[in-house]
Amino acid sequence: MARLSVAWLNMAWLSFMTPVFSPDARGQFAAIARVRWQLFVNSLHTLHGRWEMVSRIFIGLVFALGGLGGALGLGAAAWTFVSDGSVAWLALPLWVVFLFWQLFPLTATAFTEKLDSSNLLRFPLSYRSYFLICLAYGSFDHATALGSLWLLGITLGIGLADPALFLWAALVLLTFAIFNILLARMIFAWLERWLAQRRTREILGILFFLALISLQLIGPLTSRFGERTRPGVMHVAREFSPAQRLLPPGLAAEAIAHTFHGQFSTALSFFVLLCVYGMVILWLLNLRLRAQYLGENLSEAAARAASPKTSQELRLGWNVLGLPGSVAAVFEKELRYLSRSGPMLFTLIMPLFVLLVLRLGPANSGRSGSFLLRAPNLAFPIGAAYALLLLTNLVYNNFGADGPGLQLFFALPVPFKNIVLGKNLAHMAVLTLELVLVWLAVCLMYRPPSIDVTLATLAAILFAAPANFAAGNLLSIYSPKKIDYGTFGRQRASQTTVLASLGIQIGIVGLSALALFISRLYGSFWLAAPIFLGLAALAFAGYALVLSRVDRMTLDRRETLISELGRA
Amino acid sequence: MDAPAISTEGLTRRFGELVAVEDVNLRVAAGQFFGFLGPNGAGKSTTIKMLTGLLAPTAGRIQILGLDFIAKPIAVKRQIGVVPEGMALFGRLTGSEYLNFVGRMYGLDRQTAAKRTAELLDFMQLADEPKKLVADYSHGMQKKLALAAAVIHGPKILFLDEPFEGVDAVASGTLKAMLQRMIARGATIFLTSHVLEIVERLCSHVAIIHRGRLVAQGSLEELRAGVEAQAAAVQPVAAMGNGPLPSPGEKLTLEQIFLRTVGGARVADQELSWLG
Repeated sequence: MARLSVAWLNMAWLSFMTPVFSPDARGQFAAIARVRWQLFVNSLHTLHGRWEMVSRIFIGLVFALGGLGGALGLGAAAWTFVSDGSVAWLALPLWVVFLFWQLFPLTATAFTEKLDSSNLLRFPLSYRSYFLICLAYGSFDHATALGSLWLLGITLGIGLADPALFLWAALVLLTFAIFNILLARMIFAWLERWLAQRRTREILGILFFLALISLQLIGPLTSRFGERTRPGVMHVAREFSPAQRLLPPGLAAEAIAHTFHGQFSTALSFFVLLCVYGMVILWLLNLRLRAQYLGENLSEAAARAASPKTSQELRLGWNVLGLPGSVAAVFEKELRYLSRSGPMLFTLIMPLFVLLVLRLGPANSGRSGSFLLRAPNLAFPIGAAYALLLLTNLVYNNFGADGPGLQLFFALPVPFKNIVLGKNLAHMAVLTLELVLVWLAVCLMYRPPSIDVTLATLAAILFAAPANFAAGNLLSIYSPKKIDYGTFGRQRASQTTVLASLGIQIGIVGLSALALFISRLYGSFWLAAPIFLGLAALAFAGYALVLSRVDRMTLDRRETLISELGRA
Repeated sequence: MDAPAISTEGLTRRFGELVAVEDVNLRVAAGQFFGFLGPNGAGKSTTIKMLTGLLAPTAGRIQILGLDFIAKPIAVKRQIGVVPEGMALFGRLTGSEYLNFVGRMYGLDRQTAAKRTAELLDFMQLADEPKKLVADYSHGMQKKLALAAAVIHGPKILFLDEPFEGVDAVASGTLKAMLQRMIARGATIFLTSHVLEIVERLCSHVAIIHRGRLVAQGSLEELRAGVEAQAAAVQPVAAMGNGPLPSPGEKLTLEQIFLRTVGGARVADQELSWLG
């Protein structure tokens, strides 16, 4: 029976793959690979392109270190579990890999790139070729590379501890890797679909907030059950274990564990269940990609066109108190752009999502609970810092979404510093709103942060925000990259910007740590706020200096900016 | 004597080794409907970009309404309107929001910007779908919106880079009506176009640029007279693939003037037999 299943799977896979390797399809794959290579080589002809390459190599090295370190650590863990005979604990490293693989691309979209395959549709490409191209090129990301490397480490760890288990573990973990690749692509494809239209976007938002509210039930529930049973790691593991065994990381671990214990038929059934998961995900991905292949149009134009004609009343622009007309106009334009971008709104909501994830964990389980439950005062600073970090996606590429519209700014009788100021103020408004939401979420999910922590956090933001805005304005001019607010995960940030951003964040975190260390040294957290305010004054002076030179810099760089952002 | 609306002296632009525009001396009087023609890659767009501040000249001077563009860019930009090559639209705004935005950037107050926005949307027949995003507009609608944005502040000079490219007859009619209104109220229009019939019908004056150099400039009559005189002096010109001269009493069309000035295209010797 089991052999039959494996044979059927092989047949199904082969029937899917065979037409792909027809001479026509091979030629198309080769052409796409060649054109991407040529694009890469051509990009090296410019200074900006060469900087991108250097940055990419540097970032690649950082990820390689993470990949090798993780592979070593997880491999050692796997070796220990198998050597000790507690093979079921392999679920733990597999859950780590699974969560990283699926969450990292969502939380760090700057490192994520998905091929905009819609351009391929004009060619006589079969659906199978289209599917595989989307899958293959979409999987060239850091999460896939690290996840695969870590799984390889785990496989080797298992093989070293028990060579007889190696081949089976390799097969199971290869299947698990394929499942992860499919799932990551499926999540991106469906998120893009849901975020493209207002109605589905609203449903997604409602679901998120329902999850947020339902979280309030966790505290009372865990308190109630916590009184009856012994809290601790073992309890949590016992409670969670039966459920996780039926999920892909658990299934992979069980398939290996049962083989280790000589229960082959049970192991095979777990493996088959893992394959079923993979097939379901493949089917869901197939639904999405087929719709794309058939020329799906997610534009909301049709729905809008159907709306009754409204009377032609005068629509006044926003009057933002105290701001000159041109700055207010840019402020309004930026916020309108953001409000219509599902992917950007999704990115901006991530701090709340992370707070939610960190909240997951029983309240009364001692050390096993989320570390934020043990140090709830850290929740607001962490949420605020993450909100600012995500906002750097916009701040470090101010003109990215303007595209060819940037030309208008050069044709207008408005100093560029007004335009940049309007953009910075819009981003500051978003950050302020986010801070309010994070504060409310912290109050709901944890407890209201103390006044000294709140003040220190706000003062730290007053330091970090102008510092980031100043750096962002420079990078927006010197390392621009066209982005489309309407698509999700199809565009990678400029790698030079990513690298510079890392350096700037390290500097800001270092200075913040120094401020906190000094306040701790004097035994009063109240001291942190004035120190941060002093740093804020310096950062603001730097910001003002950059702003005063923006006109000169943009004029010097206008051709590069127009050609970089205006390209199709 | 009034200063010309547009004048350039020794306008030059180099891209590394390539000289895209060389020593161009243009003179466009106020109130003229001026057509700027040239084959592909001749330097039309480069010139118009320099005239509107989108590109810095390597050498030379640009004066707009007597003001030096390099010295007083903001004062010049207040007087001009531009429809550049890529139209410079913001796709994720509605047409109304975009025009309001541009109006306020040109210094109009909120009420005036809103009033002109409504009028322009009506005139351009874009008011039917107020919630439609610019990204969802057809190409013709985008051209109309770009023109509306370029005139919202009532400029004295309008620069248009290929305004009729990819536009259907209906949209083209609306654009022409708008441009003729502007000329009637004394504005100057400087446009580049490949549609020579439209240029011939609209423009009173024309300049032709070829390989970066200005090869002809004047009113249509002046250009016609120049070409006819040249053709009379060198009869074999007609045999060079530029078409026969019109019979006596028949006027040279702008297309004929253009082809004789820049040289007609040569038919490739190689046959594309595989086209079937």
